[in-house]
Amino acid sequence: MTALLRVDNLVKEYPIRAGVFRRQIGTVQAVSDVSFELGHQETLGVVGESGCGKTTLGRSLLRLIEPTSGTVMYEDQDVTAASKKEMRSLRRNMQMVFQDPYASLNPRLPIRDIVAEPMRIHGVSKKEAGERVGDLLRRVGLLPEHGNRYPHEFSGGQRQRIGIARSLALRPKVIVLDEPVSALDVSIQAQVLNLLDDIQHEFQLSFIFIAHDLAVVRHASDRIAVMYLGRVAELADRDALYEQPAHPYTHSLLSAVPIADPRRERARKRILLQGDVPSPANPPSGCRFHTRCPLAQDRCVAETPELRDVGSGHQVACHFPIAPGETLLDRVGAMGRTVEIAST
Amino acid sequence: MTEPLLRVDSLGVGFPSKAGVVQAVTDVSFEVHPGEVLAVVGESGSGKSVTALAIMRLHAKSTIITGSIDFDGIDILGLDDDQMRSVRGRDIAMIFQDPMTALNPVFTVGNQIVEAIQAHHKVPDDVAWKRAVELLEMVGVPEPKRRAEQYPHEFSGGMRQRAMIAMAISNEPKLLIADEPTTALDVTVQAQVMEVLREVQRETGSAMILITHDLGLVAGSADRVQVMYASRVMERGSIDEIFYESRNPYTRALLDSIPDLGGVRERLEPIPGNPPSLLNPPPGCGFAPRCSMAVSACSTVVPELVPVTDGHASRCIRVDDLVPVGGAA
Amino acid sequence: MDQPTDRPTGVEHGIAGSGGEVRSFAYSDVLTSDEAVALEGLSEKPKSFGRLAWERFLRHRLALIGAIGLVLIALLFIVAPWFSDYAFDERNVRDRLLGPSWDHWFGTDEIGRDLFVRTAQGGRYSLRIGLTVAVLATVFGALMGAIAGYFGGWIDNVVSQLVNLILVVPALIVLSVWALKFGSSANQLSIVLAALLWTRIARVVRGVVFQIKEQEFVMAARAAGASHGRIIVRHVMPNFVGVIAVEITLLLGTAIVLESTLSFLGLGVKPPNASLGTLVADAKGSIDNDPIRVLTPGFFIVLIVLFVNFLGDGLRDALDPKSKAEH
Ligand SMILES: Nc1ncnc2c1ncn2[C@@H]1O[C@H](COP(=O)(O)OP(=O)(O)OP(=O)(O)O)[C@@H](O)[C@H]1O
Ligand SMILES: Nc1ncnc2c1ncn2[C@@H]1O[C@H](COP(=O)(O)OP(=O)(O)OP(=O)(O)O)[C@@H](O)[C@H]1O
Ligand code: SF4
Ligand SMILES: [Mg+2]
Ligand SMILES: [Mg+2]
Repeated sequence: MTALLRVDNLVKEYPIRAGVFRRQIGTVQAVSDVSFELGHQETLGVVGESGCGKTTLGRSLLRLIEPTSGTVMYEDQDVTAASKKEMRSLRRNMQMVFQDPYASLNPRLPIRDIVAEPMRIHGVSKKEAGERVGDLLRRVGLLPEHGNRYPHEFSGGQRQRIGIARSLALRPKVIVLDEPVSALDVSIQAQVLNLLDDIQHEFQLSFIFIAHDLAVVRHASDRIAVMYLGRVAELADRDALYEQPAHPYTHSLLSAVPIADPRRERARKRILLQGDVPSPANPPSGCRFHTRCPLAQDRCVAETPELRDVGSGHQVACHFPIAPGETLLDRVGAMGRTVEIAST
Repeated sequence: MTEPLLRVDSLGVGFPSKAGVVQAVTDVSFEVHPGEVLAVVGESGSGKSVTALAIMRLHAKSTIITGSIDFDGIDILGLDDDQMRSVRGRDIAMIFQDPMTALNPVFTVGNQIVEAIQAHHKVPDDVAWKRAVELLEMVGVPEPKRRAEQYPHEFSGGMRQRAMIAMAISNEPKLLIADEPTTALDVTVQAQVMEVLREVQRETGSAMILITHDLGLVAGSADRVQVMYASRVMERGSIDEIFYESRNPYTRALLDSIPDLGGVRERLEPIPGNPPSLLNPPPGCGFAPRCSMAVSACSTVVPELVPVTDGHASRCIRVDDLVPVGGAA
Repeated sequence: MDQPTDRPTGVEHGIAGSGGEVRSFAYSDVLTSDEAVALEGLSEKPKSFGRLAWERFLRHRLALIGAIGLVLIALLFIVAPWFSDYAFDERNVRDRLLGPSWDHWFGTDEIGRDLFVRTAQGGRYSLRIGLTVAVLATVFGALMGAIAGYFGGWIDNVVSQLVNLILVVPALIVLSVWALKFGSSANQLSIVLAALLWTRIARVVRGVVFQIKEQEFVMAARAAGASHGRIIVRHVMPNFVGVIAVEITLLLGTAIVLESTLSFLGLGVKPPNASLGTLVADAKGSIDNDPIRVLTPGFFIVLIVLFVNFLGDGLRDALDPKSKAEH
């Protein structure tokens, strides 16, 4: 597989400022040493809990925020080193759909102008852009006539369609989707997920699909990266990840997700993690998960586990990964420890 | 069957606006029995919170409320403000989605629990404080003694929600209303908080109305489910009846439209279109324009909520055509 | 992980006997586009933002009253002297302190000048200062605020410190010193007033821009490759014009009142010129036996400030695409 997008050791630090003079008193490493590849027409899902750095990662890829270090390669072009001019042409190939369907459309512009904006920026004539807007709107399930209206006249799902139409305007190759359905009701979510599925085939797109809903990510992705406090904990093909999670965090995360099926819900044992996600401003030493991990040992506190391959592209950052066929509960039992189980 | 603890009868809630009345709740009737968990599910704007606020009598004076609410023999809508205040927090307590806005930032968490206790019971400060610490321990706040002296902003989201629960159960209410209690929380923390909620509910034996849009949460926590859509109850039944033997096209469509964590479904079955406006809603069944089973009669008359079996009822003209084939019978 | 049990999926949900015709729609699914266009009233002609704003403005009754009222007052001040035989500085010692009459509509002052003409002249002067100050301070303040808010960092620091510095300066004292030392022509006064009053707008705009630039639609414009200039002009500015419209009217009012205060204190316009403020000041001695002399210029000050506020309100609503402005 030749990668369309290659990310190496990407790091993004935000300064923490305080006091009247906004002096910097520290840094938050929101994305910490993240590497992955994205193939042609592939969807890479990125999941993780709030604040783990998903949005920061997505925006750094497009240099909407400047990464602190690391490289992002689009085909053979170094995005992280691109000049202003090169960046402009790169933006034709890399686009983004945003999480908030209310905030991501300029309330002062009619839909037609919003969707035409990327084309106008890249020098497409007003007339031609206008024609293409009609096609784009039709493609996302709206009508060309909707173009005359303003964002507030649309529902959340329709707005997200408009955002998708805008991202398609420049015929990009890669779209970063930052929680594209999180703000939508379930019934509307499915419409948008299906639309994304369709346009991916039609326009031969690669997606970075960011979400916190594990069921949605599984549905939408080919491979999935699980993030915890800025780091990738596990990265694997989706079925491998869901059926054979190797990282204790992935395991507990999957176990915590409620399933809309009472029988399955009653039958399963749900592991309850202890405590909350620590603050990314002050992450734990060694393995960032060790404060909550039921398997943690001295080594986990002292040494940061690298992301390594445990077979056929299944990557895990854990000193004591769970083997295929083994479960977290087995391992915990074997270690003579206990975990809290939910009492459904 | 036991006597119901709460009986809501043809509740209607309307908000007057310049353009007309926004009818947020229409003809909603249901019962809650002691000790049970009734889940109320539905999309955003379907009227879940408005129903809950009507039970707590927390709507503005201008709100048009019709029907009746009977709680443990008390006519809630007939109480004066003082009487209602003594019911609130003692007999019925509510847990909100956003614990940050529901907790007062300038008092310690312990103080706020103490205040909640003393609002209804004349107990000395030290007794109330001891009780507050106990409650925090009960909801799984570590080091409850120290934590009780902290302010809400020193708590994480999950801990705040636990504090809210502690406050809500401080007077051992007979009915707990939890409005999206875990929506603002992370999955792993959500699991912890739901566990706490289930535990205290079991321990105190109180009944609970669990409002959520997450069908997963319902599957793991409720005894009965009430599905709402566009201000009306669409279907109500035991959890298995709703999930496996639904007799309502909306419920079925909702279940079909969610991706499955098990990954069985390749293509989702979305519900086309959008929910109707509550201001001058179109005649007929609110779901008709989006329903794959709708017939012409659906857009003229509003169907009745008809009983299917004891405790299972559905609002659909074609309820008899919706016989479960798969699943359990 | 958990094995799926047998929850029926869509396929298994049996529909026994599907009698009757089946109806459903989603734009792309069932309806032809013509039907959907008709259904949603989409056939209406597109309207530009300016046109929509204008329509909303026309529907805003108070704003219309404000606008028309201001125009009438301005007209009155401009054309009034044409209908009078007197000049604003023409003394007529015999006609001192007359009450309103056919000859002198508003009466005369201590040295027999016609108060109607003087009020018109003073009103023009006040309006001119108010307008100049409002425009100068708004343009400068909005620019500074937008730059500080958009770029943040040290630029923001510098602007914010400057704003804070000016905010703690007591405007009246600075103005008095200035007027005593450098004189007080309308232009000089306007510039000094503007230099003191731009900070409010700058603060407001900075705050708004700070919020706007964090919004995802600005991020989206950047993702499309838009330059800073394009983002500011096309995406940021249109979102604070409503705020500015209100501020500019408040400012107009403030400037007129401040100028009147100065003139009242004898630090503003120099005789024989007048402003609404000096007219009130001149008449203050006779408030007991001749209240009408104080009341007429005072009345105009109040009226102008009131109309200006109505106007600001209407502008804000008109410039908000979300408002339907049913007043
Ligand atoms: N501009 C910023 N300045 C400082 N810290 C920031 C900034 N943006 C994000 N952070 C911090 O970086 C971390 C990662 O944030 P990010 O928004 O990437 O998380 P996320 O995974 O997208 O979360 P969510 O699911 O809530 O959207 C968080 O701790 C956040 O507080
Ligand atoms: N105070 C109010 N004034 C006017 N309309 C209101 C008011 N409160 C709620 N509504 C409207 O009533 C409808 C139902 O609202 P409600 O809050 O009950 O929805 P919900 O089912 O709780 O949705 P969500 O999942 O978004 O919380 C909505 O359309 C809402 O806009
Ligand atoms: S490295 Fe240690 S603490 Fe981290 S996940 Fe693996 S076992 Fe747990
Ligand atoms: Mg995010
Ligand atoms: Mg609600």
